[in-house]
Amino acid sequence: MTPGTGEGAGAGAGAAVPGDGHAGDSLSALLDGELSPAEESAVQAHLVTCLACRHEMETIGLARQWLRALPPVEPPFGLYERMLVPYRPGRRRVAMAFLGAAAAVAAVLVSVAPAPPPAVDPNVATLIEAHATSAVEGDALTNLAPAGVPVSINP
Amino acid sequence: MTDGNVPTWEEVARDHGRFLYTVAFRLTGNDDDAQDLVQEVLLRVRKGLETYRPGSLEGWLSRITTNTFLDEVRRKRRRPADPLPENPDWVLPPSMAADEALAGGALPDDVQTALRGLPADYRAAVVLCDVVGLPYQEIASALDVPVGTVRSRIHRGRAMLREVLA
Repeated sequence: MTPGTGEGAGAGAGAAVPGDGHAGDSLSALLDGELSPAEESAVQAHLVTCLACRHEMETIGLARQWLRALPPVEPPFGLYERMLVPYRPGRRRVAMAFLGAAAAVAAVLVSVAPAPPPAVDPNVATLIEAHATSAVEGDALTNLAPAGVPVSINP
Repeated sequence: MTDGNVPTWEEVARDHGRFLYTVAFRLTGNDDDAQDLVQEVLLRVRKGLETYRPGSLEGWLSRITTNTFLDEVRRKRRRPADPLPENPDWVLPPSMAADEALAGGALPDDVQTALRGLPADYRAAVVLCDVVGLPYQEIASALDVPVGTVRSRIHRGRAMLREVLA
């Protein structure tokens, strides 16, 4: 659904008051401080004489105010901790291809040495250490999940 | 993190977790999709898929988040079996009491619901402008569209939102 047509129309250089005789999206640009001084003067002059644009300015200004008043949203508890082990099937095609190739090489070499444990990315041990030693204040991870608390509460 | 270095995804999660989740939530309008979006963004950061430009880290993050969101919306559009996230029908929030509207207030939940009813491209522009606070030029660069288009989407997005909340 694209309401209206001609997206971007009237936003050309110097078109502070476009062809239809109204300020249109220049009103938002005015509220956002995005007009050049010349454009701003033109829009302000237009507003003095145009009731419709004054009304639209008020309407848009209110919507803008509501949007800007939206508060930050706290992430759910443990959201980022769960990502410490972000293994997801289907996202490791490259890694699997590499492992396959490595296995083929190993078979050819007939190596008797035990395979080293696969590298884990990210380095969980490092993360756990950083987590355990970090300060309680100012550390989003620690604040979300104090050390010792299970990071997953899913049944 | 030193200036100019690509932040690690752990740094992003630790220092900007709330910001990232807020942008994701405002774009998607619900917790499940916001969590998926955050995961995808951190995956992109982790894989080094996004070019880091020294400057505002939150501007960089919101650019990745918005583009990941729009990619996902387009991907779902191409697969009609999935429920479309962009229902052409407006999601109408409960209308406000007249005195509340007159007082110039709107409940955040109602604003969020109305935001979710905007077409994705408009929503992206409005979120980058009014939630993140980026200048038009940066929004244009993030969305890879001309500044005039950004201006138009922001204006129309606000107008639609106001209409729904009237």
